[in-house]
Amino acid sequence: MDTTYTVQELMAVVLARELNDGEVLRVGVASPVPEAAVRLAHLMHGPNMELVFLGARMNVAHLASVPMPAYGWDRRVVRWAESYSDTGHRFDRVKDWSNHVFFIGGVQVDAYGNTNLIGIGEDYRRLRFRGPGSVGTPTLSTHVGRYYIVLNNHTPRVLVERCDYVSAFGWGRGGADARRKLGLPGGGPRLCVTPLCVMDFAEESRRMRLRSLHPGVTLEAVKAATGFELVIPSAVATTAAPSAAELEALRTRVDIEGRLRR
Amino acid sequence: MNSARRTRIVDELEAAEWIQSGMTIAIGQPTPMALVRQIIRRGVRDLTVVDAGFSLDLLIAAGCVRKVVSYYAGGGFGYPVTPAFRRAAERGAIEVWECEEGILCAGLQAAAQALPFLPWRGGVGTSLPEVNPDLKVFTDPISGETLIAVPPIKPDVAILHAAHADPYGNVQHLGGPGWIDLFMYRAADRTIVQVEKIIANEEVRADAWRTTIAGADAVVRAPYGAHPFYSRGYYIQDNDHLREYAEAAGAGEEGRLRAYLERYCREPASLGDYLERIGIKRLLALHEY
Repeated sequence: MDTTYTVQELMAVVLARELNDGEVLRVGVASPVPEAAVRLAHLMHGPNMELVFLGARMNVAHLASVPMPAYGWDRRVVRWAESYSDTGHRFDRVKDWSNHVFFIGGVQVDAYGNTNLIGIGEDYRRLRFRGPGSVGTPTLSTHVGRYYIVLNNHTPRVLVERCDYVSAFGWGRGGADARRKLGLPGGGPRLCVTPLCVMDFAEESRRMRLRSLHPGVTLEAVKAATGFELVIPSAVATTAAPSAAELEALRTRVDIEGRLRR
Repeated sequence: MNSARRTRIVDELEAAEWIQSGMTIAIGQPTPMALVRQIIRRGVRDLTVVDAGFSLDLLIAAGCVRKVVSYYAGGGFGYPVTPAFRRAAERGAIEVWECEEGILCAGLQAAAQALPFLPWRGGVGTSLPEVNPDLKVFTDPISGETLIAVPPIKPDVAILHAAHADPYGNVQHLGGPGWIDLFMYRAADRTIVQVEKIIANEEVRADAWRTTIAGADAVVRAPYGAHPFYSRGYYIQDNDHLREYAEAAGAGEEGRLRAYLERYCREPASLGDYLERIGIKRLLALHEY
């Protein structure tokens, strides 16, 4: 077993370790790292997890492998589903979502974990970059117990002090009560995982804080790649590398086609 | 006096005439592409379109759209944002009614229930009410919570694709309707459903529990009519064709996009002509099982 790993494999392992048995894990479109992470957690330590890929809900802990990808819109592909939320409703029941987890990206992510899928530019009617739109992220981020921001690029253009537009409210302009003041029942963003590091949110200010640097990444590199001032703790850990068992499960049971190794 | 029950079967050309320039139309998933292509072929303009993804992009590319009610214009195939939507939105050529899935459902449901608005929480604290002034942040008079009032979204016509219907508009999906289809049906003044197969009324009555839409205003026989998209129980998505569109639209060359539109939307007069152009081998290769 080759124990060298790609950064995407590392990100998937980091996220998988975060997920607990019994949770409901919701993954949207075009998110290979979370897609791998939820499968890995399910097979390694989460026999009572439920995976929801778009509308298809499943528990496939009995399977030897759960290869990627899978889409709810094609019954041929998703032979694992036990039910579809695709039958004329989607957010009909959002109460009691404290054990639901989801994963979000953004064209911008700001210092307080707010995310933007609307676009970039001062004039909304003439955006410099028009994003794809909010999908269901405003509702999901409002109600799920916690969510993870996952980025394929860690650059000052993506990680900004303040989003031009906010499509999912993280911690607003900061403060541990920012969400409670608005009456948002969900627990907000827990981590931001990028190709360079793992970040969390400082307890009081809820400003993004460096939690661990991926092996081989320097603090200076992260600072230079971040468009705002991160909270830097006195001791910065190194992200624990994937174990041989994690890598083997990931490569032989989940990411069989090697999407995360490209 | 004619005492026979009137059937609701029309062909896709006649059904498409229900859609006039300036109307609001809602497009379901699976996508009723036979009808979408006829709308393009007829040169309908200034539509307000409730839709997502590539069918929305195609209508924008063809110049049919003035305003978009959309929660998602992502595409894949190398384009995280569908190309024609992105260009038109950045140029200001289309107006975007910014929303998200929960807000869209609330707006359609408000229309269906003849309410001035329905409340929704998802979006509180975000920029959605700023960029879409139709969404009003308000204080709930009962608990004092902050919520968003979503006004009704009222399609003149909803166009949907399903597996089966009888001649009287009783629609039966295989594997359930798309997630948004019933919201659109309930909200719209009139609904056209194109189907893979028209079945006998006896077959509907044999198991009426399977009926998902009770009373489509028009039924269009459209086998393979969702191509290049999927139709549950019949065929899967034609990714090669969607990639062909994405590359034609994404290249930024008017010529390539126009050639695509001519070849697949404007030249084929009917669904049959379109399917002939796609070719029987390609279509059969998309069988679901």
